[in-house]
Amino acid sequence: MPIVVNLDKMLVQRGMKSKELAEFIGITTANMSILKSGKARAIRFSTLEAICKALDCQPSDILEYVED
Amino acid sequence: MKDNINILTIITWAVLLVAVSVLLNDMREFDFNQFENFQNWAKTADRNESWFTSKNAIEWSYYAITAGIFFWRGYLIYGFSYFLSILKEVETGKYFSDKNIKYFRKIGNIFISYTIGILVLRFLLAAIGESTFNFINELKEEFTFLIPAGLAFYILAEIFEKGKQAKEDNELTI
Repeated sequence: MPIVVNLDKMLVQRGMKSKELAEFIGITTANMSILKSGKARAIRFSTLEAICKALDCQPSDILEYVED
Repeated sequence: MKDNINILTIITWAVLLVAVSVLLNDMREFDFNQFENFQNWAKTADRNESWFTSKNAIEWSYYAITAGIFFWRGYLIYGFSYFLSILKEVETGKYFSDKNIKYFRKIGNIFISYTIGILVLRFLLAAIGESTFNFINELKEEFTFLIPAGLAFYILAEIFEKGKQAKEDNELTI
């Protein structure tokens, strides 16, 4: 999939663990792992909004388009 | 929901048991001793006589085809038994599982092959002179309704395939 989720990078930059982020935005750790591994088919605006709020970043910091 | 499934399971079992008992009763009434007569005739038959036109051969063909019809009826009952498998999957909450899609396709296959099989056997019965065969009249018989039913099961399989995709998409939307 040409959309890459750069959540790991942002978590390192913010010094936050993925479990903490999952708790903060209200999703399960299993769903967080799906999101991080790139297996997710779609992301809800509400989830994106919560991630941006938690990590104090823009959607473009998390999502990136890379041509196959 | 669970109550409905239990009721459907009981109804399906009742239908299956009735179908099996009717089939077994028909088989009991069917005179299988004719096959022994045929075997005896085969031992003593005049080898110069043409096989196809001899009375015994035609009679034997009639019995063989009737036995073939029994086989197809048993196959149809086997198809009905897939309803129980589908209900079992639904009971465990796996509505759009691969198994259900496979079962729908199998039921569709069985219904359509049963109808075609019976039509062919009835044609053969007519060909050996034991009954009459008129294609349009045969299509008016009740059993040919299994063709649209079979197609309906193929359509259900396609719908469930799409449903499975939608379920996966929903599960993988975070």
